[in-house]
Amino acid sequence: MIARDTGLQLPSPATYNTLIAEGKMGAGIRFNVMHFMPYVHLPENHKDYKTTWVNFPNKFYDPEKGHELYRQYFDQLILADRLGFDAIVLNEHHNTVYSMMATPNVVASALIPQTRNARICVWGVPPNFMLPNRLAEEYAILDVMSKGRLEIAFPLGTGMEYWSYPVSPVTAREKFKESLKVMLQAWTADGPTTHYGNFYTYRFLNPWPRPYQKPHPPCYIVGSGSPETIELAAELGFGYSSVFVPKKTAQELNQRLRERASHYGHTIRPDQLPLLNFVYVAETQEEAEREYPIHLQRFFEDYARSSPQWLAPPGYLSVEQLKIRAAGADKMHGGFDFKAISEAFFIAVGTPEKVANQIGEWTERMGTNHINSVLHVADMPHWKAVKNMTLFAEQVMPKLRRSGGAQ
Amino acid sequence: MSKFVREEVTVNGVKTVVHTAGKGETLVFFHGAGTVDGFDFAEAWTDQFRVVVPHHPGFGESGDDPAFTDVHDYVLHYLELFDILKIDAMHLTGISMGAYFAARFALEHSHRVRKLVLIAPYGLDVAGHPALDIIATPGEQLVPMLVSNFDVLKKRLPEKPDMDFVGARYREATSFARLFWEHPIDPKFPRHLHRITMPVLIVWGDQDKVMPVAHAQAWKEKIPQAEVMIVPGAGHIVHLDKPETVGKIAMFLK
Repeated sequence: MIARDTGLQLPSPATYNTLIAEGKMGAGIRFNVMHFMPYVHLPENHKDYKTTWVNFPNKFYDPEKGHELYRQYFDQLILADRLGFDAIVLNEHHNTVYSMMATPNVVASALIPQTRNARICVWGVPPNFMLPNRLAEEYAILDVMSKGRLEIAFPLGTGMEYWSYPVSPVTAREKFKESLKVMLQAWTADGPTTHYGNFYTYRFLNPWPRPYQKPHPPCYIVGSGSPETIELAAELGFGYSSVFVPKKTAQELNQRLRERASHYGHTIRPDQLPLLNFVYVAETQEEAEREYPIHLQRFFEDYARSSPQWLAPPGYLSVEQLKIRAAGADKMHGGFDFKAISEAFFIAVGTPEKVANQIGEWTERMGTNHINSVLHVADMPHWKAVKNMTLFAEQVMPKLRRSGGAQ
Repeated sequence: MSKFVREEVTVNGVKTVVHTAGKGETLVFFHGAGTVDGFDFAEAWTDQFRVVVPHHPGFGESGDDPAFTDVHDYVLHYLELFDILKIDAMHLTGISMGAYFAARFALEHSHRVRKLVLIAPYGLDVAGHPALDIIATPGEQLVPMLVSNFDVLKKRLPEKPDMDFVGARYREATSFARLFWEHPIDPKFPRHLHRITMPVLIVWGDQDKVMPVAHAQAWKEKIPQAEVMIVPGAGHIVHLDKPETVGKIAMFLK
C-alpha cells in the first residue's frame, strides 16, 4: 500500500541512557581531536586562483604526496587515541585542498581497527549526497565494527559541496529532512518498513546490519547558524555544533537551541554542544606565537579561500539569510589579523596553563563540556602536530578533567 | 511615465503581477531568467497591440511558490492566468528562458497562439555550440555578457548594488535553479517541437554570448515554417542592443 509519508514523524526522541549510565556521555569534560586532512602542497602560483575550492584544478593533486600525507595524518589520529583523547572527528568536503576526506567513512573504517578507546565521530557525510539507506548501512557497519564507538553529525553540506555534486541546493533542506527521517526509521523501527516520500521511495526499508548503540549512535547537526537548521536539531533533540561562527554568535546559537529544544520537550545536555576550537600548545607563549600563526593564517587565507558565489549557490540560503550574510561579508576587509581573529573565534595559543584557562572559560560561557579541538591546521608539519597533541593531552587535559567543565 | 497599467492577479494562490498597455490584438511577452532588463521596449508595440507582460512566479514583482519545480508548472500557470484575463488567443513572444516557456506553451496549446516570436530561446542542446551555463557564471561576469553594448544595460543597474538588489537577483537565480540546476536540458523537448504549427519568428543576435547564434538553425530545423531573423551586432538581449528589432517583430505579427 502506498502511503505518502513526507513529514518527519520520528519513532521516538533519541535518548542515550545506556551511554550516559556507562559514563561515555554527559559526565565530565570530553576532548576530541578534529582533523581536516588538508592537501598541503599548493602550487606556488595558487594565489592566482580566487578560491581553492570547487574549480581549483585537480591537476595540482599529486597522489604520491597525498599518500605521504595520509600516513602522517593517520599517525596523528592513532596517536590521539594512545594519548587518551576521547574522540577523533572526521568530516567531508569536496573539490578542495582543504580536505582529503571526500568520503570520511572510508577513513573511519581504516581508523577503527587501529584505535582502541577513542570514539569515532563522522561529522559527517551530507545525507543529500548518498542514498539514505546506504548511509544508514555504512554508519551501522562502522558502529558494529567499532563496538559502539561511532558518533554522527548530519551536515547539510557547505555551498561548495553543492557546486561539486549533482544535487540541487534549492531543495537541499527539504531533501535533508527526508533523508534523516529515512535513516532514523531504518535504525529504530523493525524492518521491513516502507517510505514513500518526495525524494525517496522505499518499498522494503530493511537494512542489515543495525547499529550497535541503541537506539542509534549519538547524533548531532552541524551548521553555520541557519535558523532552519537549529530548528531541526531542536525538533529532533539532537546536539548542534556551530562551525566558523564568531564566539558571540555561537553562544547565541547554543542558547537558541536550548530554548527551541525545550519547546519540543527535549533537554539539551552540555555534551550535546561540541565547541569547535583551534588550539596550539607550546612550552612558552613566545614559542607558541612563533610556531603557530602562519599555519592559522594559511588556513583562513589559502585553505578556506572560497567566494560568495561558492558559499551561497542559488536557493541554498533564504533570501533573508543571503542578505544578512552578504552584508556581513561586505564588512570584512583587510588581511589576516592574528589578534583580531583570536579574539573573535575560539582560538587558544600558548602555554598549557593559558590554554587550559581559556578552554575552562569557554566551557562556562558556552554551557558545554565537549571540547572539539583542531590541533593540526593547514600546512602544519607533522612534528608540530605531534608536539601540540602531546602537550595538550599531557598538560592541558588533566587540568580540565580535574575541574570538570560545565555541568 | 510608463503607459503600462500594473495589475495583481492571484493565480492558484500565487500573486502574479501583470503589466498591460495598448489596444488591438493581444501580444504577450515572457521575460527571461532575470528582470533587470525591463520591458519598457514593449511600449513600441502598444500602438498596434494590447501588450500584456506578466512577471513569472519567482521573478520580478510576482510572488513565490516553491511548487514551481518544472517548466510545465509555468505552462499550467499561464493557462490559468490567460483564462482569468480572458485571453483566448494571442501573439506570444519571449526571450531566452521566457522564449522557452513560450515554446512549451505553444506546443501544448497551439490553438491559442496566433503567432510565436522566440528571441534567443533557451532549451536546445546543440552539438558544438554549448549555451553558457548561467548558473555557473558569476553574476558580475554574466551581466556584461547579456548585451553587445554594455551601456544599454548598465544604465538599468544600480551604481553600487545594495542588499535589496543582491537579494532580488539571488531570488531570481533560485527560481531558475529550481527548474534547471539538476537538469538544465530536457532531452525530450525537441521531440515535441513539431507540434508548433503557427507562424514563428526566431530572432537572434549574431553577437550572442549566452545562447550561440548557431542555435537559430537548430530551432529552424525543428520548426520548418519558422522565419529566422539574425540581427547583426546584437547580443543576447537583442531588443536592448538593437531597438529597431521591436518594430520588425511588430511587422511580422501584423
